[in-house]
Amino acid sequence: MSLKITIRCFSYVRQVLGKKDIALEVSDETDTNDIKEIICEMAGGALDDIPFKIAVNRNYIAESIILKDGDELALIPPVQGGSYK
Amino acid sequence: MIKVEIVSGKINHFISDGNHTNDGAEVIFNGRVRNLEKDKKIVALEYEHYEGMAELELKKLAEKTVNKFSLNDLFCKHRVGKVPTGEASLHISIWSPHRKEALNALEWFITELKKNVPIWKWAIYEDGTREAT
Repeated sequence: MSLKITIRCFSYVRQVLGKKDIALEVSDETDTNDIKEIICEMAGGALDDIPFKIAVNRNYIAESIILKDGDELALIPPVQGGSYK
Repeated sequence: MIKVEIVSGKINHFISDGNHTNDGAEVIFNGRVRNLEKDKKIVALEYEHYEGMAELELKKLAEKTVNKFSLNDLFCKHRVGKVPTGEASLHISIWSPHRKEALNALEWFITELKKNVPIWKWAIYEDGTREAT
């Protein structure tokens, strides 16, 4: 079974990937860390050093969680005043 | 009481009047866009927010701040979209019985806002180019 999820891209993530939203179809049991790896791979290393927080369905998560069909995930780069490196 | 708003145009200030009779302190803060960002001249900042989540996080933070510092009221407006230099992007009014709590709460609220509320800045340079900052 596969899951359809949406990745929301903001700030530096959007600048690097050139997209606001990315629709992904991933396998069952995919977790948020897997998605982070996929996105970092898409960025060709440009996001590797960014200290992201992760939000699922607009709530921060403290630890990696298994995703569900229809989930919206965002890699949240440092917000205003934060540092990327 | 708390009030939080994400607004897309110029910020209208919260009313400052004599109705807060329990409060000895009213602290008003306006955060404005300065013309330098990381030592480079800019004409504006564009604020991008995660719609839905930014409002939620701002509300949670306002509630936490009111409880932590025993405030009576905290009102906050954050502007998003393009904000020219000199204009305000953040407006906060805090009321509390004594000044110490209100002043400390203001500093803490802004620090936490800049860590956790998903609002980002893009610098707009004089040549029209933009960069996440």
